[in-house]
Amino acid sequence: MRDVRIKKKVEKILRKYRAKANVTVEDGIVFIKGTVTSWRKYVEIGKETGRIKGVKGVVNDLEYPGKEKKRKKRGEERVIGKADVVIIGGGVVGCAIARELSKYKLNVILVEKSDDVGGGGATKANNALVHTGIGEKMGTLKQKLCVEGHKMFRKIAEELDVPYEECGMWIVISEDSIAYRLPRILKKFLASYIIPFIILRRAKKLGIEMYKVSKKELLKREPYVTEKAIAAVFSPSYAMTCPFRYTIALAENAMENGVKIMLNTEVVDITVENGNVGKVITTKGAIETKFVINAAGLYADEIASLAGAREYTIHPKKGATLIFDKETRKFLNHSMTLLRLPRIEHYKGGGIMLTVDGNVQWGPTIDEIEDKEDTSVTAEEIERIFKTYEPLMPKFPKKAVIAYFSGIRAASFTEDFIIRAAKKVKGFIHVAGIQSPGLAASPAIAKMVASILQQEGLKMELKKDFNPIRKAPPIPREMDMAERKKLVERDGRYGRIVCRCEEVTEGEIVDAIHSKIPACSIDAIKRRTRAGMGRCQGSFCLPYVAKILARELNIPLEKVKKGGDGSELFIGKAKCLLEEKNES
Amino acid sequence: MALSSSLARLNACWRKKMRVDVAVIGGGPAGLAAAAEASKEASVVIIERNEELGGILQQCIHPGFGNFIFGEMLTGPEYATRFIEKVRAAGVDIMLETTVLEIENKKIIASGRNGIVEIEAKAIILATGCRERTRQQILIPGTRPAGIYTAGCAQRLINIDGVMPGRKVVILGSGDVGLIMARRFTLEGAEVEGVYEIMPKPGGLMRNVVQCLHDFDIPLHLRHTIIDIKGKKRVEGVVVAKVDENLKPIKGTERYVECDCVVLAVGLIPENEIAKKAGVEMDAITGGAIVDEGMETSVDGIFACGNAVHVHDLVDDVTIEAELAGKMAAKYVNGMEERKGLLKVKAGKNVRYVVPQMLRGKDIETIRFSFRVKKEMENARVVVKAGEEVIAERKERIVRPPEMVKILAEAKKIWEIRKEVMVEVEEV
Ligand SMILES: Cc1cc2nc3c(=O)[nH]c(=O)nc-3n(C[C@H](O)[C@H](O)[C@H](O)COP(=O)(O)OP(=O)(O)OC[C@H]3O[C@@H](n4cnc5c(N)ncnc54)[C@H](O)[C@@H]3O)c2cc1C
Ligand SMILES: Cc1cc2nc3c(=O)[nH]c(=O)nc-3n(C[C@H](O)[C@H](O)[C@H](O)COP(=O)(O)OP(=O)(O)OC[C@H]3O[C@@H](n4cnc5c(N)ncnc54)[C@H](O)[C@@H]3O)c2cc1C
Repeated sequence: MRDVRIKKKVEKILRKYRAKANVTVEDGIVFIKGTVTSWRKYVEIGKETGRIKGVKGVVNDLEYPGKEKKRKKRGEERVIGKADVVIIGGGVVGCAIARELSKYKLNVILVEKSDDVGGGGATKANNALVHTGIGEKMGTLKQKLCVEGHKMFRKIAEELDVPYEECGMWIVISEDSIAYRLPRILKKFLASYIIPFIILRRAKKLGIEMYKVSKKELLKREPYVTEKAIAAVFSPSYAMTCPFRYTIALAENAMENGVKIMLNTEVVDITVENGNVGKVITTKGAIETKFVINAAGLYADEIASLAGAREYTIHPKKGATLIFDKETRKFLNHSMTLLRLPRIEHYKGGGIMLTVDGNVQWGPTIDEIEDKEDTSVTAEEIERIFKTYEPLMPKFPKKAVIAYFSGIRAASFTEDFIIRAAKKVKGFIHVAGIQSPGLAASPAIAKMVASILQQEGLKMELKKDFNPIRKAPPIPREMDMAERKKLVERDGRYGRIVCRCEEVTEGEIVDAIHSKIPACSIDAIKRRTRAGMGRCQGSFCLPYVAKILARELNIPLEKVKKGGDGSELFIGKAKCLLEEKNES
Repeated sequence: MALSSSLARLNACWRKKMRVDVAVIGGGPAGLAAAAEASKEASVVIIERNEELGGILQQCIHPGFGNFIFGEMLTGPEYATRFIEKVRAAGVDIMLETTVLEIENKKIIASGRNGIVEIEAKAIILATGCRERTRQQILIPGTRPAGIYTAGCAQRLINIDGVMPGRKVVILGSGDVGLIMARRFTLEGAEVEGVYEIMPKPGGLMRNVVQCLHDFDIPLHLRHTIIDIKGKKRVEGVVVAKVDENLKPIKGTERYVECDCVVLAVGLIPENEIAKKAGVEMDAITGGAIVDEGMETSVDGIFACGNAVHVHDLVDDVTIEAELAGKMAAKYVNGMEERKGLLKVKAGKNVRYVVPQMLRGKDIETIRFSFRVKKEMENARVVVKAGEEVIAERKERIVRPPEMVKILAEAKKIWEIRKEVMVEVEEV
């Protein structure tokens, strides 16, 4: 009955966009096949369909001019292992699940196609906020898991020895907040009373501590905030972490507790036997398993389709962010966002935010994009970021940009997390559509996945010897002097500064290279140690870091890579081009 | 082994706590000259974070150094060697691979393989050089693949580490560093597709434009910039475009250039993190410390010289300035410093900045004002005024922003007048 109603609504949408298409609906999952005239329309149809009540997934197979055809990669059929559970994807979500499952007597293998955990997708390019959940749409799964994840985060961060700081967040309501055409006085009334009231009521419902402050108080606590502010609501427990170090720590702790992690291993097929998952076929060989957890981020839809379990299409949404010099840290005491009405759906609006390392970030933007790998930052995006956040803090020194990046959100058309057992393939668990706040929610996502596995019949017995503690390698710059001196006396490499901007030592770099999950590239070292993340962006330390890598990995310097395969830093030894010319 | 044993020898002076008259931070040409000069009257230590002395000169293997001081064209390492020998002969203590973390009331905290050292110095000379402006600071859009290097980094990679950063290169910026790297890449067999410069005039010395570009038929595209970088893993190409008077890209002039390497030579910034932490006042225009005629900063007993004060085009000027700093630091330590008062030095017509920025009436007969002009001017008259009175003047056939201009003035005259000093350049 419900499916019939949904189908009618989707057909109406398709007519509106003049799509030549067929719709089928099965148990709330909408399948659209056919053609439209543009990518834009493809996206709009998907989004409008996702908004229909009762829709649990949108598989949007509409063709449009220029749509890229997927080419299937060849795998290795040879069986190389057996597991109770295979986790596909070593982003923050996959690693959080791996660590959660390592509490049980299970044989778990995590496969990640890039050269590092957290090195393949959104986990390496986000805003590092541990959101409280106040910014999410009420009643969504992502909100529920975010609220829970935020409450779990401090303890996990302590266990894993990674940064977690409740830096607090202002929601500033200013004269620029309300774009509706309303009389000034009404706007002011809305801004000073109604909006804070609504926010605080929501916060109460969700169990989040928040309070309202007047303009005067706000400006006293944040002297550089815009004079146009009318009022603000403060969330003291809004927090931040380091997504790289957190993800690596999750993975390392999972390994300590028995999980096997395979890097540079891409899943290319999944076999299904009698309605059950059978083998996960990768570029390194096949793994026999009964349960597959699909945490492949942007590629979750493609992974699901390998198992014949498609229930959604992922549409990528890009977010660009600017990072500012640590010197700008003094302009704010807490992170802040400017409330804007009407709100863009499923976008918290971004803001001016702190990082655990003492920088300031502006962003992120939000844009639908076609290419899942397009992490460029365009001139238009840079300009838009300046324009969007300047009204919040007009006197901030905008020239102090030291870096910028884009990350890509893996959104489903229903715009919520999809975490459930597949409807038709037994043993296949979806963990898809994990856009923001996936980082904040990750501890709760992991818990939920564990309980789904149990419901699906996996025997889950807690280990007695699970060790939740993982110790981070030493960071001299964060130690007190006496401790630091002792460390350097023990090992001189912790005295040799390699990255001058971030004060990273040779000892830290060597530790990263020889850690449980070895850092084998400049970027992997950067994510672990911050070498190259400061104001000179590696222009000083790159040659040194590259040389340490070559020495420790015992490879020639010219083979050192920035990130994954194909990103070699150099084309060969000096004189290699002259030799080439002589030969020809 | 060879390196570590020579390190042990050089760091032989190392103790957990040290006391010294003059501590020099940075062992580039500035630090070396300052140390050599100071060591005539005081005990001196040089603290250098690299594994060798010589600073940026060690990677500048082209000839072009010392024309003024030695009357010959030396390579960077040759020039450096002359001063390294000098400081060795003078018995200056040398600490290599040791980075100064901070200065607190004349106490230096530095970190190296031997440990973390505290050095109490009566005077400190900051000779920390400069760093390069990056792609991010000038907001070039695009992707972030391998193959994007600052020019100094590329120079080090080729000349010291022996690796090639790319095969087909686009260079942004026509300052000296960019020009020299265009030639270096060409000599290494790479193709330099072109040097792109956003300004209407080249940013480097004329001699470098001729010797590095014209002699090798490398095209120089003035009023052009890079507006996009493409490539996922390695650089695949860039989009260049012409710019208008406001330096904004002009629509319709975009051109795609295939390349696997982008080299950025878009400016140098004095390196002053530790100076700032020590409370030294900075000049917003030079990006370096504000100094007096004896190279002393706003903090008593802390001196600065070389590229840490303002970016120099010729190393000879660095040496002259640093020797003065060394001499005055020794005087300070020996209690022989004189001060007559405080006068400001202002940048007047067509002058971007002047070093020194202030005068304290030290025991120096002739004061050397170094400055850069805002715009090119032919048949120029350079004047130094105290109040309204001209106390020094000189004619220059041409003055250009890339070339530092110097003029000497008698200190006695200035202190007779005791009025604010101004340096100006006018057309005659
Ligand atoms: C700009 C931006 C800002 C954000 N800010 C925040 C924030 O402040 N707070 C917050 O909570 N959340 C934030 N998020 C969201 C958060 O980053 C993501 O929700 C989270 O990182 C998702 O983690 P993941 O593990 O699901 O995905 P990913 O990190 O993308 O991991 C998926 C992994 O799967 C691998 N993979 C893909 N295909 C295969 C295959 N075939 N075989 C093997 N492996 C495969 C990939 O290589 C990748 O490593 C932000 C996101 C963006 C884009
Ligand atoms: C590519 C290029 C080409 C050039 N070509 C010419 C030319 O042809 N002719 C010419 O005359 N000039 C040339 N120059 C200019 C000249 O070489 C420089 O102006 C000069 O080297 C600056 O000297 P310096 O000592 O101030 O700085 P640097 O040489 O940069 O030395 C500074 C030193 O301080 C050290 N240091 C910094 N911070 C710390 C710290 N915290 N602790 C310990 N040590 C520290 C650094 O490691 C470095 O060794 C060129 C410069 C470049 C970059």
